[in-house]
This record gives sequence, structure tokens and C-alpha cells, in this order.
Amino acid sequence: MNRNNRMRIGRRRFLKQAGLTLIAAGSAPMLSTPFVSRAMADTKTLSIVQWSHFVPEYDKWFDQFAKDWGTKNNVEVAVDHIPVANVAARAAAEASAQSGHDLFGWNGAGGAHLYRRFLVDVTSLVEATEKKYGKVSTIGRQIGYNQDDKTWSAFPDFYISFPAMYRKSMWDEIGMKPDTWDNVRLGGAKLKAKGHPVGISLGHSNDPNTTWRGLLWSFGGALQDAEGKNVVLNSKETVEAVKYVTALYKEAMTSEVLSWDDSSNNRYLVSGIGSLIVNPISAYRTFQKANTKGADDTFVIAPPKGPVRQIMGGASEFYGIWKFAKNKEGAIEFLKYYADHWPEAFKASEGYNNPCFANLVPKPMPILSNDPTSTPSDKLTVLQDSEQWSASPGYPGPSWPAVDEVYNDFVICDMMAKAASRQMSAEDSVKWAHQQSDAIFKKWHEKA
Amino acid sequence: MAVIAEPVAKPISRFRFVLDRRDVLETVMVAPAILYVLLLVGLPLLLAVFYSLSAYTIYNPTWKFVGLANFEQILQNPTFLDTLRNTFVFTFGSQLLGLVLGKFGAFLLLQPFPGRKIVRALIILPFAVPVALATIAWQWMFDSLYSVINWTMIAAGLVTREEAPNWLGNPYLAMLCIIIINAWRFFPFAIVIFLAGITAVPQDVIDAATVDGAGFWRRNYQIILPMILPMVAIGLIFGIVFTFTDLSIVFLLTMGGPGGATSVLGFEGFQTGIVSGDVAHGAAISLFMLPVLLVVVIFTLRFIRRREI
Repeated sequence: MNRNNRMRIGRRRFLKQAGLTLIAAGSAPMLSTPFVSRAMADTKTLSIVQWSHFVPEYDKWFDQFAKDWGTKNNVEVAVDHIPVANVAARAAAEASAQSGHDLFGWNGAGGAHLYRRFLVDVTSLVEATEKKYGKVSTIGRQIGYNQDDKTWSAFPDFYISFPAMYRKSMWDEIGMKPDTWDNVRLGGAKLKAKGHPVGISLGHSNDPNTTWRGLLWSFGGALQDAEGKNVVLNSKETVEAVKYVTALYKEAMTSEVLSWDDSSNNRYLVSGIGSLIVNPISAYRTFQKANTKGADDTFVIAPPKGPVRQIMGGASEFYGIWKFAKNKEGAIEFLKYYADHWPEAFKASEGYNNPCFANLVPKPMPILSNDPTSTPSDKLTVLQDSEQWSASPGYPGPSWPAVDEVYNDFVICDMMAKAASRQMSAEDSVKWAHQQSDAIFKKWHEKA
Repeated sequence: MAVIAEPVAKPISRFRFVLDRRDVLETVMVAPAILYVLLLVGLPLLLAVFYSLSAYTIYNPTWKFVGLANFEQILQNPTFLDTLRNTFVFTFGSQLLGLVLGKFGAFLLLQPFPGRKIVRALIILPFAVPVALATIAWQWMFDSLYSVINWTMIAAGLVTREEAPNWLGNPYLAMLCIIIINAWRFFPFAIVIFLAGITAVPQDVIDAATVDGAGFWRRNYQIILPMILPMVAIGLIFGIVFTFTDLSIVFLLTMGGPGGATSVLGFEGFQTGIVSGDVAHGAAISLFMLPVLLVVVIFTLRFIRRREI
């Protein structure tokens, strides 16, 4: 038999060899099953889903952190990051299907109270963490805590504060500091004339929902009362706040703000046009990467004071464990470990994630008290006390489904925008928003 | 004498005998399609009807029957009527623009020119590009700060930066923007429909009309268009149904803003039912589309039947 004959693959040879291969492939799982299944039984899995963080380095840190925890505990951890706008739809899909990730990370409004019937009670976990790291801040409590039965349906992770960021050289030039809303309007008008308007969105997104609520509260107005029973929007204070926004829009801003999304004000600041924005420090971090000189000229201060108080909206982040989760114990253990290593998360987020437990990151906080990337290095110090001026959308009452729906329908944003763009008078705009909110509250009072 | 073996008749299987019956075979062939429609269209629709008549929310998942209370509450909301109006403007505006662009496009692509085949292949791109990608590209074109359209107009000296249109910040322009994007997505489909229709018109009919003295416009609007109208109407049904139920462009571009000027039924239903967790109200909002679409489809199909040649 020559070499060519040996190499030739005949029909008979092909069938024989293919048959043997199939038998081998088919029998392999049967032979290996006892070993593999034992190994699989020893290795548990934990799946986590959360939003894609605005500081990408944080996601990298978290993925590695979760993986390392998994290796130590013989748990296979999978972390999925989804766009922030998809969080609500994903939660609804998982709750409807009664299947999905073990640990669900919510962002901003909604979640813990809306899905409380689907979530594991984590009261003991929160209480144990409080014992270790101090009381939960007001903003952390407003989202995850159920006032009616004194339980926690979610574990507070962090909150995002909304300080004001201004171009120091521009404001110095007019001899003003934007520390009060009045100064923002007066100084903003002068700077607009110089081609540097104020940039606060009046569009439909999270930033305006948060910022205009803060302004409303600082004027003494609010959406609901402290018990969350009644809509109290139609008040003298709210009308004053809306009149102020109308003036601010006319005198210190441009019509661009009506179309903005959450990233527009960041771009406005980085472009060198905007003289002031109200935003989480991700805008400042973006500026640092794009233009160090411009970022050095950008200063971060507490939100401007209103006639009644100094306060601003904030966004809470929290983890829920589904009742249908396959590894509830693993999820709880992971959260305990995560809380114990929370200062690392704080550093990885470059000071973006603010702690919900009082002593989780003792003051002076790393990065915020001394940020080597900032000039001067104490520029972010004011953020250490941000829990004193940050509140969740339900303030002064609890966050509950009606508050969320008012938020998701952009009622407060539209109340401001309709008056600012002269579609309605301030009084009519407030009446319209009150009517909308009242209908939503009545509906949820019937359903809740 | 040669003996020819008689073929032995194989016994016919019972299965083959059953499938030989025309009615059985028809049923077997059509069954997957019917099952598909029942499971993926009928069942969700039925579920939506149940939801809309209940008090079901994610907060309190109860099937408590509330009759038409959800519909009543929705109709009492003046903002909902604005949403309904926006949906009509968005749907019919974009379909009209898409049809006009499609007709012109088809005429252009019927003319011989170098690279026509490549252009015909490329023209289908807007239809093939994922809506999320396309909308993000459009978002940059309409961006308040970096709009390439505004930049061109400013560079050409047509407007100053202060005068430049605020595409997504002005209620009317924002509506125009979402209409333009949807028409841009729809017009390749319209071109294909028109091209198929026009090339199917017998050449001798067009020749006869030309001999009789019919010019370009008369040939097109009194000979060709009436002949291809049934085909165009079918395309239009698709366009209307898909646009009326669409939320993607609004969700990605405007989130219903400014001031609710671009909020459409699909978006409103999603925000209320999924994001805010009021499934019953969300289902009721979505079901408002049903009668409208039903009327449009019945009217168009009747029209086609009458026009059939």
C-alpha cells in the first residue's frame, strides 16, 4: 500500500471513522457526568446586574472585585452591566418572568418599594451593617426603607450628589460666586452677555428631574407632604420657584437647555461655553480627561442656597435580592463582603459614589479631602458633607410608586419648562403639574 | 418467452394516506402559522386586555376587575389627548414624507445611470441599520451644541449661532425631527414597493398612453399610480402599523420632550406600564392603538379590494 492509498479516504473508511468519533463524543458526557456534576454541585453561581457606571473604571474594579470574591468562596460570579435607561425594563422583565439575576442593582427612582413584594427582606443585613458602619443617611433610608412595616426591601449602596460646578475665572471676572440661586441668575445674566450662559437642562432626563426638585425644595415647595399622603405642589412657594426658573431661563440660559439629555451639560462645560452646571462630579472627571486647564478652572461647590434652604436632589443606588433568586444566601454574603470593602469602591469611583452609612468612609475621606488630580487638591472637600444637602425625589416624604410615576412622567421638569418657554404662566403651569400629580397619587392610593 | 416480473405494490402507509387528503394537508401546512399568530400575537393581546381591565401593578399584582375605570382615567387626562394627537401627527406625517421620498427615489432609480446597481443596494441601508444606531447618529445631527446641520448653515453664513434652529428644543421642530427620522427609515421600503409596482405595469399600456399623447405627469398620476395603488396601500398598512406602535425613536431621541411635545402612545404606555410599574394603565394606553389600527387596516383592505384589477 503506497502512501497515497493510505491517505485516501474511502466511503467505508469515512463511515467507520465518523461512527467511532460520534460514539466517542456521545459517550464522553455519560462517562464524565459523575465527576462533572459533583464539581458543578460544589461550584455555586451568583449573577449580578447593574447599570454601566458613569465612571468606567468603577465597573472594571467591581467586576474584578466580584470575581475575586467568587474565587475565594468557590462561587462563579457573573456581572452584567446594562445602560442606565434599561434598568427599569430589565427589572420588570425579570419580575414578570420570575427569573433572572440573583442581585439586582437599581439606579435612581423606583425599585425597592415598587418591587418590594418580589424582593427578599434585607432588614437584618442593613441593621447589622448599621451596627458596624453607623446609621443610614436620610437619602439612603428614603429609597430602601418601608415606613409602613419598618422593613428594608433593598440594601443601600451609594447615592449620587449633585453639586454645582462653575468656571472660576468667568465668575471672578464679574466679581460674583454662584452660591445662591439669586447669584446664579444675576451672575448668569452677566455671563450670558459675555457668551457664557448657565446650563441646566429643561429636557426629559434624570438630571433636570433631580436639579429642579432641588430648586423647588430650596424655595420651600414640594411635591408631597411628609407622610406622602397628599400632593402639595400648588403653593405660593412653588409658584415663586417656577417664576425664578422662568427668569433664570430668560436671563441666564439659552433655549438649547430644552433639548438636553444627561450628557449635554457635561459637554456644555467641556466645550468652554457653559459657566455653571449642576451635576454629579462625573462632569468634572470628564473635563479633567478632556482638558486639564479647563478642569483646573472648574470649581465644585455645594448647590446654591434658596430663599428657604440649601438642598439638592440626589440619586440613590441600591441592591435588591429577588425572592426567586437561585443563590439568595450567596447574594447576602456578597453584600456583607462588599460593605466591608466599600472604601475600595469609593476610591474606584473616584469619589462619585457617596456612602449611605455614616462611618463607612471616615472623614477626611480619601480623594475628596485630597485629590491629587485636582488643582487645588481640596477642591472636592465640600462633597464629604453632601448627605446634608442631598435628598431623594420624594422629599420631604417617602419615595413610593406615585412619586416615581411623577418622576418618570417628567411632571416637575415640564412644569418648569412650560413656564420658562412661555407656553403657560407660572401659576397655570403649577396648577397643571398639581393636577397631573394629583391624578397619579389618587390612582396609586387606590392601588397601593 | 420472457417473464416480466410484476412489480409488487408496496403497502401504502396510513400516514401517507391521511396526508393525501387535501383538507388535512392544508390544515397541517397552515397550522404552524396559525399557532404562531395565536401564541405570539393573540395571547399577548388577550393578556393586555385582561391587564387593562384589572388593577394590576408591579407593586400590587392583583387581577381585581375594575371594568373600564383605567380607560376612563386615561381619557380624563388632558395630556393623554396631546399624546394621541402626537401619535397621529408622527404616524401620518412620516408615512406621507416616506411615500413622497419613496416615489421620487423609485423614479430616480428607474433611470439608467452608471453605478445604479450599487445605489440600489445602498439605498436599502436605512432600512437595515439598527434603529438605535441610526437614532444616535441623528441625535448628533440635531444636537444643540454640535449639530452638523447647524454647523453647515452657520459656516455658509445662512444663520448665526444664536439664530440656529433648536431642533430638539422647539416643540414643532422636535416633532419634525422624529418624523424625518422615521421617514428616512421607511423610505427605502417605499422605494422597493414603488419600484416593484412600476416595473410590473405592462409596457404596452404605457406605450399606448404615450401614443395617445399622455405626458410624464399624466402617465404617472393617471395611468401608473392608480395601477400600483393596491400594492402601495399594502406597504402603507405596514408603515402605519409599525409607526403607530413604535417607541424607539422617541425613547432614544427626545424621551417625549420638550414638554411632552413628542410623547406618543407607545412611549407613554412603556413609561407608565413598565418604568412606573402601573401595568394596567400601561396596557390600557397601548390598547388605544387597537381600534385606530383596526379602522385603518379595514379601510385600506376594502379600498384595495375595490381597486383590484
